Amino acid sequence: MTEHPTATWQAMQDGNAFYRRQQLYSIPGKLPDFGEYIVAGCQYGGPLALMRDNTKLLALGHLTSATAKAQIQIYSPAGESLLSFRWDQGKIIKFGWTRDERLTVLNEEGIYRLYDLQGDYQQHSLGPEASELGIIDARIHDNGFVAMTSSLALLEVKGWEGGRPLTLANPALTQPPHAWCIIPPDLNVSRHVEVLLSVESTIYTVDNLESVDQRLSRGPFTHVSPSPNGKLLALLTFSGTLWVVSSDFQRNIAEFEASGVPEAEGSVLQVEWCGNDAIAVAWKFLVLLVGPSGDTLQYAYSGTPFAVTEMDGVRIMSPDICDLLQKVPASTLSIFRPGSTSPSAILYDAWESFSSRSPKADESIRSIRPDLAKAVDECIDAAGQQWEPQWQQKLLNAAKFGRGFLDFHNPTDFVNMGQTLKVLNAVRFYEVGIPLTYSEHNYASPSHLISRLTSRNLHLLALRISSFLSLKPDTVLKHWACAKILRSRPTSTGVGKDSELTADDEVCKLIVDKFEQLGGTEVSYAEIAKKAWEVGRSGLATKLLDHESRASDQVPLLLTMKEDKLALLKAVDSGDTDLVYHVLLHLHKRLPLGSFFRLIEDGGERLSPASKLLEVYAREQNREMLRDFYYSDDRRVESAVLSLEEASKMNNPASKISSVKAAQKFFSEDKDHTFEAKMMEESARLLTTQQQLDSETDGKIAFFGSSVNETIRLCLVNNMAKRADKIKSDFKVPDKRFWHIKLKALTEAKAFGELETFSKSKRSPIGYEPFVRHLVEKGHPKEAVVYIARCDSPKRADLYVECGEWRLAGKECKDRGDKAKLEQLRRKCPNSMIERELDQILSTMK
Amino acid sequence: MATGEQSAQRSQARLDVSLLKEIAKKDLVDALNGVNGAKTLVLDASLAGPLGLVIEVSLLKQHGVDKMFWLESGALTSTTTNIVYLCRPVIKHMKIIADQVKRHAKESRKHIYTLLLVPRLSTLVSRILEEEGVLGDITISSYNLQFIPLDDDIISLEHENAFKEIWVDGDETVIFESSQALLTLQRLYGPFPQIVGKGDYANKLAKLLTRSTSKATNASASDAVLSSTTSIDSLIILDRRVDIITPLLTQLTYEGLVDELIGIKNSHVELPISLLTPPAPSSSNPSTSAVTTAPVISVKKDAKKKHHLTTSTDPLFAELRDLNFSSVGRKLNNVARRLDDDYKTNLQAKTVAQLRDFVGKLGGLQTEHQSLRLHTELSELLLPLTRTEEFNRSLEIQQNLLASYEVTAQITSIEDMIAQGAEMQTIIRLLCLASLTAGGIKAKSLENIKREMLQAYGYNFMPLFLFLAAPPLAILLPSSLPASTPPAVTSLKYPFASLRKSLRLLIDDNPEALDEVENDISFVYSGYAPISIRLIQCVAQKGGVLSNPAEKEKSMNDAPAQQNLSIGKVQAHPIVGWKGFEDVMAAIPGETVEILQTHPEAAVSGLPTPSSTTAFREQTTTSVVFFLGGCTYTEIAALRWVARQNRGRNFLIATTDIISGRGLVDGIAFVDRPATRRTTES
Repeated sequence: MTEHPTATWQAMQDGNAFYRRQQLYSIPGKLPDFGEYIVAGCQYGGPLALMRDNTKLLALGHLTSATAKAQIQIYSPAGESLLSFRWDQGKIIKFGWTRDERLTVLNEEGIYRLYDLQGDYQQHSLGPEASELGIIDARIHDNGFVAMTSSLALLEVKGWEGGRPLTLANPALTQPPHAWCIIPPDLNVSRHVEVLLSVESTIYTVDNLESVDQRLSRGPFTHVSPSPNGKLLALLTFSGTLWVVSSDFQRNIAEFEASGVPEAEGSVLQVEWCGNDAIAVAWKFLVLLVGPSGDTLQYAYSGTPFAVTEMDGVRIMSPDICDLLQKVPASTLSIFRPGSTSPSAILYDAWESFSSRSPKADESIRSIRPDLAKAVDECIDAAGQQWEPQWQQKLLNAAKFGRGFLDFHNPTDFVNMGQTLKVLNAVRFYEVGIPLTYSEHNYASPSHLISRLTSRNLHLLALRISSFLSLKPDTVLKHWACAKILRSRPTSTGVGKDSELTADDEVCKLIVDKFEQLGGTEVSYAEIAKKAWEVGRSGLATKLLDHESRASDQVPLLLTMKEDKLALLKAVDSGDTDLVYHVLLHLHKRLPLGSFFRLIEDGGERLSPASKLLEVYAREQNREMLRDFYYSDDRRVESAVLSLEEASKMNNPASKISSVKAAQKFFSEDKDHTFEAKMMEESARLLTTQQQLDSETDGKIAFFGSSVNETIRLCLVNNMAKRADKIKSDFKVPDKRFWHIKLKALTEAKAFGELETFSKSKRSPIGYEPFVRHLVEKGHPKEAVVYIARCDSPKRADLYVECGEWRLAGKECKDRGDKAKLEQLRRKCPNSMIERELDQILSTMK
Repeated sequence: MATGEQSAQRSQARLDVSLLKEIAKKDLVDALNGVNGAKTLVLDASLAGPLGLVIEVSLLKQHGVDKMFWLESGALTSTTTNIVYLCRPVIKHMKIIADQVKRHAKESRKHIYTLLLVPRLSTLVSRILEEEGVLGDITISSYNLQFIPLDDDIISLEHENAFKEIWVDGDETVIFESSQALLTLQRLYGPFPQIVGKGDYANKLAKLLTRSTSKATNASASDAVLSSTTSIDSLIILDRRVDIITPLLTQLTYEGLVDELIGIKNSHVELPISLLTPPAPSSSNPSTSAVTTAPVISVKKDAKKKHHLTTSTDPLFAELRDLNFSSVGRKLNNVARRLDDDYKTNLQAKTVAQLRDFVGKLGGLQTEHQSLRLHTELSELLLPLTRTEEFNRSLEIQQNLLASYEVTAQITSIEDMIAQGAEMQTIIRLLCLASLTAGGIKAKSLENIKREMLQAYGYNFMPLFLFLAAPPLAILLPSSLPASTPPAVTSLKYPFASLRKSLRLLIDDNPEALDEVENDISFVYSGYAPISIRLIQCVAQKGGVLSNPAEKEKSMNDAPAQQNLSIGKVQAHPIVGWKGFEDVMAAIPGETVEILQTHPEAAVSGLPTPSSTTAFREQTTTSVVFFLGGCTYTEIAALRWVARQNRGRNFLIATTDIISGRGLVDGIAFVDRPATRRTTES
């Protein structure tokens, strides 16, 4: 029989709020004293990372090789050593944990590594500038960090993918701040990170836009720490006053003299939050819990304690114990508070009576009948808040008992709680060592828990939990496969390649079988293959990659494995043009140009989309390459078109002509394109002629580059009729077109006399109607009239009307004896004067 | 015409596409909020139009956009630290951005650059920026702009030049983007149980879709948000090569003509300012004004103004847009008379109550009045343009070519038009039409015409001819191909003559048939039915291909008025692929697509599978029609007509962009489309 839950409770002075100290693990002698170490703890019951603090003195006798060099050790909350590794890089500035339990270690050169719990790491850098300046401090949160350079500028890194650091607004500090902290982006209204710097007597808040002086006078502060929800700040002044304010400095919440604690020894080590409403202040051998109204509770520890803020409490690690200090949750309080008469307390009481076969149970149940549903819910909730399985069971039994008296009660909560507790108890077991609270588990989601288990290589447990919670087994399987590959190095290196191959086959089969057996159909084989490739087993990687269906995952790896052709084929098949570009650009960089081209050309029809895309890219960015590409493949027509495109962009006459001539040459090399070659010859000839014309007119008229029609027009408009005729004959311009051009040009030049002479020069190949129409259209109806007589007679009347010559129109009708037409005209005529005239003509007709 | 009633009937059970707009809006706002503080927005001009359809400038300002600039080469001066570039992943743009960043660095001005790529990140862009040496200075993220609703039955990617990119450049990016956008559609409105399509690229798209779908369904069980309320019965994909003839013709509906003659871009048309400024009295009531100003304030001061052609503020436009232009005048007249009557009867109001009634209606009347004025003047603007010789000559040639009437004479006519200096685009359209309908142009005359054109318009159009002749386009070919022609070209020959018969493309122009023209999709081209829509009828209204459903009904029902009522309409038949038209499909070049997408959850949730036709009869379904490579306004009009003939089926028209023959030719010829065109010349 474990002790009653209330045994760990302690009331604040006012007697209303209870706090409990839940012992999670007893770990005598497993951890060193934290006083000599720099420690970083991970939220959500995560591990601790320790590194020897070089600024602390050490008794000579204790000097071991481990302490002489920078070494980081990682322990689970249950004191199990998870990992320890050497640091061979520059001096470590800061280390801390990410959301997914990777340890970020940042050194003074701005290089940071992310270590997982297996000791594998990824390395990123803050860039050359930061490395030159040097990093002096940093603050790390779940999803990024802020580093301070030696010039006291702040650099923010978002996410852990090695993103480029952003410079935050410059607070213009002259010396490092006394203390500083950050409020992570997801806790801010602006959704951007906020940095709080204690400078002189005030605090600066800095984000990426501005640095604001909060104009405080109570500083400087030795500790600045934001609450888990980011709404409150705990500040500790040099004089030892603990001051709690809202994080926008608008509201004073509480104040407490921390210097006056008699049991405290030495300076304050840590100021951490216990949930969102109490603060834990840690000294050597002592943790003081300060409640919202300034009331305190004291907890003594045998060594230096280390506090880790959790969502709903604070976890205290000391050399021989791991505790959780927590405000007693409402449901638990309601049931177990001495003298509680709440329905849930009565329900629990009733169940106890029932199990001891006392008739009191029935009476109790009756008395709370109206509130029974609520009481049941409260018992379920309280079960979740209990650490001891025995008490969880009792509370759940009480809830089950109460449920029996209810007609309708949704069992979902009950079932879920049972499942969750089973999972939680499993992971809290000291060998696993994840003391996760119920609310944290709810917040962080089960899949997060699964990934934490896999990162500890606890695949079987993870798999069982995921199937128990009906989650997909994919992530576990993937991690397992990667771990499997790492462990299963080819057994006998001496036997040669064959053994390696069979080993590859074996592993691949093992993995694929396992996946199929457990339904992990969507596991990305590419990622596993990548792992295999990274450890130097390219054969295995290729085999695994064959099982991958997503091209976007497959292709990058194929490229790194130098399976160029396959990568290109897969990319083209995927239809994703960006993926094709990815391959093309990559190959273009890596391969010699010749073999790059050959690769694409040899692909034939299947790779033609890739070749087209290369052309699109090269046309804009790398014409030289495109020219070589066409040339190497004997694609004359494309080469010619390319030359023409270039010609159209050129302004220099000589180079333009030579480009056109180049195009002509390309065309002439292809027997199917003799026509095009001939046209290009004409084009070049025209350009030469124009060049001549340009120089003749001293460049006053821009002939160069215009079409044949336009050139003729320009000649005509500028009184160079002879030249126009010459061009006509040189370029064999048909009469019809020439007449149209000349008609328009002369009209434009208002050379009506010349136009008339021209019209009489020979019988018009286009007739005379276009003359009339064009002149009318351009607003010269008077000049148009002369040509009407030469048009077809049936159309004349209408043409006259278009010129506004109603009388002539009437006369025309009369001449043709077309009475009907005349009457039609009369109906349409615009004024009475014309009407009278037409009437007159009409009257003369029979 | 009971258009109002029809649209009311149509709108029921229609997919709510405004959702797409909301998503696009929210995504942009989120993307902008990702950058803290005031920012300068630099916008790719080709995106301004599409963006204007989803978001207002005021909303951008609310989210910290201080100033907006076009993405243009040259220096950029910005007062804010943050500069956000929003553009498509085009190499040209990247060079401009790189240049601006480098300039700032030279002038040692500190800015924080964010590049939002539409619709997704691109390796190409990173590479270019890397080559230019500025990759490290720019944060790149994406803004996934997909389908934009243009109306409640049209959604468009508004991807300009999609046709040219696919068929000339061979750049299949659009196809991939289309598949992504269609997948989004599936996620929102439920899966497409059937995919039917025609054309090689349509086939590619369908394959992309089915592959991704099968993956998606594996990844997460159905997460369709709205699938329960409305259902999509099929996706019909047509690629533009399947019917390249239709866009070559001059569109003869009201909206189509506006596009042909004035130009509509992103649903906006540029009109003389006098047309858009309402006379003084009504300007006092701007809230009900039908005139919406263009979303992005035009940089240049111009006597022209952009006008958003939309039915939401302009109900009259809904009635006019799909009419053949010849009946627009009559319609306007009717509306004018009705409006006049309304004013009159209302002015006779005697009692205070009547007066209040009248005043209440006044706003509506004024709106209507204004749009009447706008459309009357717009048609007056169009009318002289339809009377030019060039316009009528080209119409005549088109009609004759479609009927294969005296093809040689038509070629001569085209030659004459070149001599007269007709527009290059017009000639190219006619030439391609001649080549397609007659199975090629005689090599001799083709060469002659090419030579004429090169001389008349410039030798720089040489590549255009080569592009038009090269596969996969191959729409301008000599009638006898040289022996060395690759088989790819010969297989692309278009069987127009046989299609004309089997798909009943031409409705004779004799007086008896005139009625039929009115009662067939051929009204959009005054007697010619667009092949694309006939093909859709082959899938969704099989009866309509061979004879006219409306016609038949008229003979059955003595009261012709009834044909517009929904009770008289035939229930749409379920989609059964190309069934019945297999031989037609085989004749048209390009792959034929018929895919049944079986979803495990479809069986469970009771979604209509083609086999469960009994359930099908009860509900209204939507068929999504996707035009890969763009569609014309006439095709939209025709498809709306088809939708009106049946009960129980709506069409959702999805397209890469809205095209006209002119735009196609311009795109292939690398002619930059001038902002204002035509109107100044004539």
